[in-house]
Amino acid sequence: MTEEREKTEKPYRKLETQAFLQQIAFRQGFEALEASENGRLTWVTSGFPVEIPIAMDVGVVYPEQAGAIIGAQKIGPEVCGYAEDLGYSQELCSYARASIGSTQRPDDVPMGSLPPPQALLACNNICGTVLRWYDAISEMTGAPVFLLDTPPVEGEQLPHHRAYVRNGLNELVGFLSSTFNTTLEDDKFRNVADLSSNAINLWTNSLEACKNKPSPLNCADRFLTMAPVVSSRGTEHCVEFYEMLFAEVEDRVKQNIGAVGDEKIRLLWDNIPPWFILRFFNQLAARGVSFPADTYTHAWSGAIEGVDVSSILDEMVGMYSNVYLNKGLNAKIDKMCQLIKDYDLDGFIMFSVRSCKRYSLGQMASKEIVTERTGVPGVIIEGDMVDSRLFNEAQIQTRVDALLEMFV
Amino acid sequence: MAELPAIPVGLDIGSTTAKGVLLNPDKTVLTKYLQNTGASVSASANSIMERLCDAAGVSREQCTVIATGYGRASVDFAMRNVTEITCHSIGVHHLNPNIRLLIDVGGQDSKAIRIGKNGRPEDFQLNDKCSAGTGRFLEVMARVLDVSLDELGPLALKSKNPSQISSTCTVFAESEVIGRIGSGDAPEDIAAGVHLAMASKVRSLAKQVKIEPPVGVTGGVSLNPAFRHYLSKQIECTLWMPKDPQFTGALGAALLAFE
Repeated sequence: MTEEREKTEKPYRKLETQAFLQQIAFRQGFEALEASENGRLTWVTSGFPVEIPIAMDVGVVYPEQAGAIIGAQKIGPEVCGYAEDLGYSQELCSYARASIGSTQRPDDVPMGSLPPPQALLACNNICGTVLRWYDAISEMTGAPVFLLDTPPVEGEQLPHHRAYVRNGLNELVGFLSSTFNTTLEDDKFRNVADLSSNAINLWTNSLEACKNKPSPLNCADRFLTMAPVVSSRGTEHCVEFYEMLFAEVEDRVKQNIGAVGDEKIRLLWDNIPPWFILRFFNQLAARGVSFPADTYTHAWSGAIEGVDVSSILDEMVGMYSNVYLNKGLNAKIDKMCQLIKDYDLDGFIMFSVRSCKRYSLGQMASKEIVTERTGVPGVIIEGDMVDSRLFNEAQIQTRVDALLEMFV
Repeated sequence: MAELPAIPVGLDIGSTTAKGVLLNPDKTVLTKYLQNTGASVSASANSIMERLCDAAGVSREQCTVIATGYGRASVDFAMRNVTEITCHSIGVHHLNPNIRLLIDVGGQDSKAIRIGKNGRPEDFQLNDKCSAGTGRFLEVMARVLDVSLDELGPLALKSKNPSQISSTCTVFAESEVIGRIGSGDAPEDIAAGVHLAMASKVRSLAKQVKIEPPVGVTGGVSLNPAFRHYLSKQIECTLWMPKDPQFTGALGAALLAFE
């Protein structure tokens, strides 16, 4: 029986590099615990300029990543329920509910609750909910909140916006200095910025390799291997991980090996994935569907080139203000059209995530415009990234099947 | 490889009713059958198959079956399954190749499908997690007004002054209707308000794929004259309805058996 199973080739190829993710997660968990015990742990949002706390020897962990882990363990409804028991609405972001729920009952969420923080660092370049969410965590843990406010960018970032965000970064350095009795030094910051740039560069190269046919990476591969670039930018082990990933990707490209066994249809994925059902992508792989690009993992780009604290902070203003979710609908539409063109995609799936209003807002209008501009069809499916109660598989199946039937 | 059996059959297992169509070689309908889906998809699929084969005087083995509708994956004897979006599009295109927008309103879903010149869907939109704008909405309202589903449409057409009913949610609209009854609104006005609310919900769905005449309507709800009347007013164009609007999905599936 086992032999028979081995002989049957899977429709998707698992990355060997993926095996190292567990080691990285274990290492991060251990370092976070140690930092918390030493009174130097911060919880940060995914779009936060994390190079700054790292260069100041302050530990960082990501509640959003913990939310994804809770989702992947399929315990989202239960953990979100702990927050709902406190009176939080089901309409609240499921990352926020998972975070509040696991903070309230850490013993019930061994894989997904984070060590107690000494400070909370929120940047609203990814959404506005983070401020209230971190306020709630602050009430529960007693840790103070620092908000880095990045006003949304429509077109070019205005000079007074740049000055405002730059001032925010100064205040952040001051906040970390006084809270953790530390300083931000040129050499250390430059080193962390180099490591961060290297990791981002390797990650970007891996993503761009997916322009090849067949694509060396599928959606689920990128969603899993993006974890270190989110959580460990600016560290050596992060660079090492992406060196391995890029080597494996290059190898696949050289050998003309795709992530999907028999790639027939190439689609774009828009939004955060449903973490509790990543097999969704593998099931489609069995039908020859691959996702060479998505809007979610293409969030980081550009190298930090500044030579000292001041010039690096100057660069970070633009880098962290111009993230995908902090820009207007036109920028999102342009990005999707560009990805469809560059990666030669046949169509797109937009996941309307009930939790993430910032990401999902305007999808109905953008779907129409993207199809008009690129000539490829798309479909909107509705659900959530953590809370599986909002995911109706039969409804989604019909929509996706109907899209695929358009390519016959 | 042996040739496929020659008799094409389409089965459309919907959320409320299951439909079957068996075609002649010239693609005309030899026989068709409709029944409630009930609790078991496979039982209703088998029972329809039996009826169709009996009426046509053929055996199951001679048929090539294509399944569609929400229960499509559970019809284990089907050669393949295809979504109702594609099947309705193909079925309607076969009957009237001029139709560019199809509005199909069934028991628990409503669809707006833009049909390409080749008969394949080019774009579509379905209702999401909400029964307002589907047959269920009318079923609930008929019960509250204490009339049968068949009587609801004709009753509404008697109204000259439709009541204002919210279109956002079946459950809330139900309490609204009860409120209207309490305030003394005439039953025909309430019934008309219900159809108006339903038509406006379907219009917003249709607008998402662009309203382009000529517009076709199918599905069980299209048999309701008040729904057609208010929808036609809402989208400001006349509607085309096939003779058997509940069977276009099954027809499209059966036509696919020729491919």
